[in-house]
Amino acid sequence: MKFLALVIPLLFIALFLFALVKKVKLYDCFTEGVKEAVPLVLSLFPYLAAVLMLSELFSRSGFSDMLTSFLSPAFRALGIPAEISPLVLMKPFSGSGSTALLSDILANHGADSYIGRCACVCYGSSETVFYISAVYFANVKQKKLLKPVLIALFANCLTVVFGCLLCRVM
Amino acid sequence: MNGIFATVFLISAALMLFYDPEGFLPALLSGGQKAAALSLSLLAVYCVWLGFFKVMEKSGLAEKLSRAVFPLAKKLFRSDDKESVYLAGCNLSANFLGLPGAPTPLGVKATEKFCAAKNKYAADMLFVLNATSLQILPTTVIAMRAAAGSSAAADIFLPTLLATALSTVVGAALVALTARRKK
Repeated sequence: MKFLALVIPLLFIALFLFALVKKVKLYDCFTEGVKEAVPLVLSLFPYLAAVLMLSELFSRSGFSDMLTSFLSPAFRALGIPAEISPLVLMKPFSGSGSTALLSDILANHGADSYIGRCACVCYGSSETVFYISAVYFANVKQKKLLKPVLIALFANCLTVVFGCLLCRVM
Repeated sequence: MNGIFATVFLISAALMLFYDPEGFLPALLSGGQKAAALSLSLLAVYCVWLGFFKVMEKSGLAEKLSRAVFPLAKKLFRSDDKESVYLAGCNLSANFLGLPGAPTPLGVKATEKFCAAKNKYAADMLFVLNATSLQILPTTVIAMRAAAGSSAAADIFLPTLLATALSTVVGAALVALTARRKK
């Protein structure tokens, strides 16, 4: 892990040295890039707000719990332990929500248990699909998102099944 | 997205009516608050990386890199537009390296460019590749496991990598297949 900590500073040093050799005005150029950050965040903000409000409602209303208990037989059939099904449901909506769930699971079942390992693999190998779709397509006018979102959800679902299987043998 | 938003919102709100009507507004507000907080931290991340990428662009390094990845990325995204393919390529490499926050501004820009060029296929492909998580090292998870007292925190590395590789391949294949059928 030590090596990884070096990657980012080295990237910056290498790039800035290279830029100096190429006679780039570093300060002017860097600030010019930073300038783009504000409009980018502003354009994302409404979508972020809507998706996060939705995910907050989703978990607080008990709808996510209901879905979990409704779906847990199906999950069990796929080899996903019931303990981690809330995590699987939460992950596409909210990164911070699923992080909270993961630390709960780790605290309750232990980090080295099958459940704990399974939860870690699920968390690490899937993504916050709805959040990413909101952000990536924020500035696009015609939003035909159903197909890509469905594909991404399906692929992530497959990952979870496969990950739970792998945890059993590895 | 409009359908999903309406469905999930209405069902959740209806449930709130029965169980916890007073919690409705606080839930929305806390979502808004999270959005505000997240925007600030995103702003910080974008400042760093957009500055970095501008230097990369101006120094000519970006062009060199894009020439290197262009042949491969061109096929993957079925696009001839140098700039957007370059942005997408950088997004993928930043994902691979697990640079925190770096992929998003690149991905957003590439998606905009792809869509402006009416290349829905490329935008979908880029989104699915991102949404199936290409990360090689799940650093957050390993740190959390270590914090929870795991004896071998990194031993989920291999199953995670295999599982995520599968989802990425399946996702990409599905995008490619569904697009071809339409044409």
